[in-house]
Amino acid sequence: MKFEARGLVKIFPAPVLSGAAPLRALGGLDLKAGPGVLGVEGPNGSGKTTLFKALAGIIETDGGTILADGEAADSERLRELAAYCPSNPRAFYFRLSAAENLRFFGALAGLSAGQALESAGKLAETLELSPADLERRFDRLSEGNMQKVSLIRSFSRRAPLLLLDEPFRGLDADSQQGLLELIRETAKTSVVVVSSHSPELLRAAAYRVLRLEAGRLIGEAI
Amino acid sequence: MNAAPRPAAAAVIAAFIRRDFLAESSYRLSFVLGALATLANLAIFYFIGELFGGSMARQLEPYGTGYFTYVFTSLAFFGYIGTGAGSYSERLRLEQMQGTLEATLSTPLGMLPFLAAMSAWNFLFATFELLVYALAGVFIFKLDFSAANWPMAALVFALSTACFAALGMLSSCFVVLFKRGNPVAWVLNNFEGLLGGIYFPVAVLPGWLASVSNLLPVTYAVRAFQLAVHKGAGLAELKGDLAVLFIFALVLIPASAWLFSLSVKRARKTGTLGSY
Repeated sequence: MKFEARGLVKIFPAPVLSGAAPLRALGGLDLKAGPGVLGVEGPNGSGKTTLFKALAGIIETDGGTILADGEAADSERLRELAAYCPSNPRAFYFRLSAAENLRFFGALAGLSAGQALESAGKLAETLELSPADLERRFDRLSEGNMQKVSLIRSFSRRAPLLLLDEPFRGLDADSQQGLLELIRETAKTSVVVVSSHSPELLRAAAYRVLRLEAGRLIGEAI
Repeated sequence: MNAAPRPAAAAVIAAFIRRDFLAESSYRLSFVLGALATLANLAIFYFIGELFGGSMARQLEPYGTGYFTYVFTSLAFFGYIGTGAGSYSERLRLEQMQGTLEATLSTPLGMLPFLAAMSAWNFLFATFELLVYALAGVFIFKLDFSAANWPMAALVFALSTACFAALGMLSSCFVVLFKRGNPVAWVLNNFEGLLGGIYFPVAVLPGWLASVSNLLPVTYAVRAFQLAVHKGAGLAELKGDLAVLFIFALVLIPASAWLFSLSVKRARKTGTLGSY
């Protein structure tokens, strides 16, 4: 599949009576992704996460269109097509084990318990997350291992569009290599969009890196 | 790669129940203390009944029962139907605080399965509590339910549960949009007990307050349930209350589901789905 964003605009309104100005996070952004891995870099606050959430159908944009294989896709359609790995890996149920979390979120994406757990086992091996850690309660995992569970959740969906926001954060060198391998493998069948503040890792992952500033693409970094 | 299929509603509900069971059972002390609190609460009303029950006989005459039996029945009944009113907003708020709401709603999950699943565990647990109430009523407090019209009580129960689940969904719209500050929950929490006839019959209230109580579905629900259980009232006696409950359900269920979808859409627009 191929994905395209045309003139994406996202303005976050200021809280009522706050006196603050609305935040223009995306200012008419155009982007083409796929096939393969597309990298996105840019300073803090440049709109990377907003772009990812718009492509994942988590937020609704205020202007522009997102196309999937040339057809306009609304946010509901995008939630079927895209899997999003947030930059903050803590969006899990802390009192449940990592495996139970993956089983739960798998069910919401239409995976059976068997499929979710089988997929989790395979991905955990590549990312060097031990079976013991998979069975460990989520709040007892290290930040790095939380990140791995978050990555497993998004990779498990085998979605046509995989959006990885800061996926290398908190990972050790071996796990980073495992993730690079996983991204390359996934890119054979899905479109992968990756962001990172590490130029080296981003270039190792993506064939093409776009630079985002103030909600607009200002060119290709490679 | 293909788009993710919409998960089946039954699978979603089962996943939510499993998740909530695992999470709740990890707080073992809370579970035990909760059960003890229910028993302590019942004991309070039992002794109030022993002390003052006789002086309320006139207002209780239509129900043909004493104070403790009246309040016991109301608490058991409302404990279940009130689950719908309170649990949606509580669950949703918890998801917001945990940071899992955005993750849950970034999946292909449809809004109706989500609404059905969100409180499924609470209803299951409330069913268990209802069973405990029933057993305690029969074996510990030796209450007499021999006059009950159970099919009619079940009808009242089903309609009331639907009404209160809809009110709960309505209440959770405010949680989605404003996070804290929920006028529906405020009314439900503060006025149902006073005006709904749960702790005493509405007939005790002065006329102007009794007319306010007529605006709340809980008034019709409690009265109809008490009459069905203690007087064996049938369709002829309960048709007025049943009609009101039916109309409440007919209007509130589609309206609250629609408003909930709108509020989630609004949160997606303002980017506040993940905020708390």
